[in-house]
Amino acid sequence: MTLLEIKALSVTFPSNTGPVQAVRRVDLQIERGSIHGLIGESGCGKTMTGMALLGLAPQGARIAADVFRFDGMDLTTHAASLRGRRIALISQDPAAALNPVLTIGRQMDDVLRTHSAQPKAERRVAAVALLTATGLAGPELLLKRYPHQLSGGMQQRVVIAQALATGADFLIADEPTTALDVTVGAQVLALLRKLVAERGLTVLMITHDMDVVAAVCDRATVLYAGLSVEEGPARAILTHPRHPYAAALLAALPDAVPHGQRLAAIEGRIPSPTQPITGCAFALRCPSVMPVCHEVPPPRRGGSDHGWLCHLDGQAP
Amino acid sequence: MTAPLLHVQDLVVRYKPRGLFAQAPPPAVNRVSLSLPEGATLGVVGESGSGKSSLLRAILRLVPAESGSITFGGADWLSLRGPELRLARQGIGVVAQNPFLSLSPRLTIAQILSEPLLARGDRPGPDMVAQTAALLSRCGLPPDFLPRRARELSGGQAQRVAIARALALGPRLLVLDEPTSALDVSVQAQILNLLMDLKADFGLSMLFVTHNLKVVAHISDLLMVMHQGEVVESGRAESVIADPAQPYSRALMGFRPRP
Repeated sequence: MTLLEIKALSVTFPSNTGPVQAVRRVDLQIERGSIHGLIGESGCGKTMTGMALLGLAPQGARIAADVFRFDGMDLTTHAASLRGRRIALISQDPAAALNPVLTIGRQMDDVLRTHSAQPKAERRVAAVALLTATGLAGPELLLKRYPHQLSGGMQQRVVIAQALATGADFLIADEPTTALDVTVGAQVLALLRKLVAERGLTVLMITHDMDVVAAVCDRATVLYAGLSVEEGPARAILTHPRHPYAAALLAALPDAVPHGQRLAAIEGRIPSPTQPITGCAFALRCPSVMPVCHEVPPPRRGGSDHGWLCHLDGQAP
Repeated sequence: MTAPLLHVQDLVVRYKPRGLFAQAPPPAVNRVSLSLPEGATLGVVGESGSGKSSLLRAILRLVPAESGSITFGGADWLSLRGPELRLARQGIGVVAQNPFLSLSPRLTIAQILSEPLLARGDRPGPDMVAQTAALLSRCGLPPDFLPRRARELSGGQAQRVAIARALALGPRLLVLDEPTSALDVSVQAQILNLLMDLKADFGLSMLFVTHNLKVVAHISDLLMVMHQGEVVESGRAESVIADPAQPYSRALMGFRPRP
């Protein structure tokens, strides 16, 4: 069942030099109980898409969409009221998400008190249960600790426990493991996977890291210059990318070529968000570019399970 | 076999205890030995707290070594003092993680690149301009970048400037501390390609420190995995990645299933 459905989302900032298009046209469809990857490099609009979903787009942002629906509700009007009830954010830096001068217990209680009328003793039991559910050992002791006394991995688990405390069933995880060590990041991803299986959570995993996509995502969407250029099963995108940008991104990874050989770097830069795009956004950097790519926006190829925007007929280089 | 360019033997680095009666903390670097042959690249991999940055700082003489020895270019590196050290340090170029922090926002690229030359005592003039332009173009940027400032550059362009600056004095060893961690994947590939080219052209030796095993393994000849101040695994890069002996090294490889 579809929990989140977005069609043609755009986030634009008016400016003196013309509109700045942070998100040009993003389509997303996320099934309940799945982890959906939102893949892209800096400036592709992945974080801004997440912020629009949370009703946290910066002041002055103009959000438009053909469909912008979460569980039957219109997000253009309901995003702010769903945040902290149904939708929660797991950010990149857990230390910044937690208040440094309050104990973990106080911060857990703040969330629980906002969301239930339970008496204090019951809230404490609930806090302990939530911290245990996120795999933290010694939760009673932890309640008395301050964030700086915890490691980055533990802090991220506390943030996840807080998200669960709100009762949210949709988590937007924005690069949740980027600030963590590889081994710790793997544990946090395993925790998210477990919570999805046990509690039926749905996760939008915003990331630039293909390892993260491979580890936890069921489906994924690749963003480029504010456009969703390919969406499909995560495994299919990682092993047989169809859009030339997705293919180039995977080919640029060090494990794509034998040891010591030159990597397939993508030359050039992402088009500026102030620059209007007439044809294909990737045309200037694409290895298989054709004259038509500069003139006409590419059609959507593929089927409902795996689709991509390209003038080429599905034969990625 | 010729002597290695850089040789570290049983190096111990320990930071001071926090208080007067506090126990001495465990060493940040515990009896680490390494050998970097001329023209080779050594990758040092570890997570936070593994001691890789402390090792790097000790090699750069930014923190004192408690015991052990370091030889660089045949000289006893730890006994050098004052002007001698200053001169010898020209043999090492350093590239840091974040180019926007390591490059002054107030200076033009031309000023940034001529600073090490001026510090050495070179005279400013047309020769120096030509020299900086040549450095920059060797690192993949045209000379019209010279009058620009760091903040006008993309992350990848700024890191190219940082690499050019590190090469300004013709070092024999390039020390790279997480040089691609702040960059996007496509840009990371450009920088890794540049480093491989520079190594081939100048016969540079490199010490490449990072938490990303896959990145460093790709361009390294030798690999060393650190954990809690100790070397847990070292050897030829290809054999370490193909068959990590330690479970810890395997965990660092990430969790990506091979297609």
